Amino acid sequence: MNFELTEEQNLIRDMVRSFAEAEVAPSARERDEEERFDRALMYDRLAELGLTGIVFPEEYGGAGADYISYAIAVEELSRVCGSTGVTLSAHLSLCANPIYMFGTEAQKQKFLVPLAKGEKMGAFGLTEPSAGSDAGGTKTTATKDGNDWIINGSKIFITNAGEAEIYVVLARSDKSAEKHRGISAYIIEKGTPGFSFGKKEAKMGIRSSPTMELVFDNCRIPGENLLGQEGQGFKVAMKTLDGGRIGIASQALGIAQGALDAAIAYTKDREQFNKPVASFQGVQFQLADMATQVEAARLLIYNAAYRASAGLSYSQESAMAKLFASETAMRVTTQAVQLHGGYGYTREFPVERMMRDAKITEIYEGTSEIQRVVIGAALTK
Amino acid sequence: MNILICIKQVPDMESKFKINAEKNWYDRTDLAWRMNEYDEYAVEQAVRLKEQVGDADLTVLCIGGDQVKETMKKALAMGCDRGVHIADNDAYKREPIEIASMIAGFAKDKNFDIIFTGMQSQDRGSAQVGVMLAELLAIAAVTTIVSFAFDNGTISVKRELEGGTKALVSATMPVVLTCQLGLNTPRYPTLPNIMKAKKKELLTIAPDVGSSAISQETAAFYFPEKKSGGLVLEGELPDLAEKLIHLLKEKTGVLA
Repeated sequence: MNFELTEEQNLIRDMVRSFAEAEVAPSARERDEEERFDRALMYDRLAELGLTGIVFPEEYGGAGADYISYAIAVEELSRVCGSTGVTLSAHLSLCANPIYMFGTEAQKQKFLVPLAKGEKMGAFGLTEPSAGSDAGGTKTTATKDGNDWIINGSKIFITNAGEAEIYVVLARSDKSAEKHRGISAYIIEKGTPGFSFGKKEAKMGIRSSPTMELVFDNCRIPGENLLGQEGQGFKVAMKTLDGGRIGIASQALGIAQGALDAAIAYTKDREQFNKPVASFQGVQFQLADMATQVEAARLLIYNAAYRASAGLSYSQESAMAKLFASETAMRVTTQAVQLHGGYGYTREFPVERMMRDAKITEIYEGTSEIQRVVIGAALTK
Repeated sequence: MNILICIKQVPDMESKFKINAEKNWYDRTDLAWRMNEYDEYAVEQAVRLKEQVGDADLTVLCIGGDQVKETMKKALAMGCDRGVHIADNDAYKREPIEIASMIAGFAKDKNFDIIFTGMQSQDRGSAQVGVMLAELLAIAAVTTIVSFAFDNGTISVKRELEGGTKALVSATMPVVLTCQLGLNTPRYPTLPNIMKAKKKELLTIAPDVGSSAISQETAAFYFPEKKSGGLVLEGELPDLAEKLIHLLKEKTGVLA
């Protein structure tokens, strides 16, 4: 067993960190305040650096790196901007990856290659007003018409929506089948007649990442856009979320690390009672707990990522990593605000943004409660 | 074209430095390592030259223990074609003439047209290896370049001099060029190129210091003494003036 990163993984961390600090961090506060997605910076630059297809083989436009490299990239982006981190995670884990896992060779050539190269951006449509944690409750319908499918319904809270060109969408294709078996997955392109975007959500955190509603009104797509087998949609969704949890866990880890770094720097600098507040043992104990939790989250993530790259099962491990990392992010960012005192509550310092960004990691791509369901079910089956 | 780029691995300059047990250098444990900043400009310029002329072969050379290979991989990921690692765990304590001799020993029969390197290292800062290397190879050296142009076999560079002045120098090959801040902005090695770097040739060779006589050694290595805090005078204004005049007379030569 070896806990050391490889030379490539170290170089990737250095590269993404340098890029994130030099180019992403300077505008993070402004983009948050303006709820502005900057595609040239938050996606096109990632594509130029080869981050949009990290884990996919070179023949599909990827870099052929492993899941730990992917986790490192999302962590380093999220360390300065949680919105940029989730942009990459949603694109890669939730759209490109299911096409890689379940797509036909033709689908991979047509959709995965431009996604991996970053020429196009991806998103994933699962959640509906009445189907969140209960994916089996999907009400959006897919009706067969000759060789085509007609999609009707809507999806909410979709990350990257409006910006992305390619969407993997779950819809009920068989109303008579039991609820998990009647769902299929489809690849739907932006611009397809009958596919439009609803309202943009005004959010607490990750405000420079766009979140919108997808609306399908008699949206006709060709039969070859069915992803995986008909009726296999629930499986596609669950396998997709297994990988997505590594991305969100890494996002949470990055947010937590960013808040920890900020808290250490601030408490060393801030003087009260004629000495730096970091010299007080009470403050050191808090920093120690924060750092220990962050490191534990990192190791859980690397373990899940290692298993994903090695072809081992990782559903339970990625659920543990996502559960622990997201709850760590919430605790650590809250503590970082506390350690900054009144300044931490202002927008002059980044920790209040990190605290707002952290909250969503306990909610999306499976709430903490659902992660406990996944882990608990695996333990007791 | 045949191009050599000489790089050094140095600690991240934001590291917390401690002095080693022998008190002649910093303690090398628990440091994060990276490519010497000035050498990054050298790598970037070589890669740009290759992009310009097409037909060029870039060899990156680094001296040190096994750990320098990671920094060499970065140079390979930025666009160098092959690496030569001179394995020497004692490199950090060698003086400039030894380092220059080791590089010259490798380069002397390789017909490099241009040798790019940083104008100095961020840790030792002697700024001597580049010029010594040129001397040992009996070729020209142009130091502290802040711009570079290559046209039809002729090299034109700007040198940064004291007092904000610059000098425009043209040179013919072969030549050693030492690179200064401002020459270019080094690229990020892209992720696919990082992955491809591990497939590039990275040859490890034994060190050959030759017969260079050691002429200097570090006698002591220390942090400058911390300046004591300033003196704050308190009290009413007339009193303060009295105290200040008294102090200036007693402690300084400002007032006789």
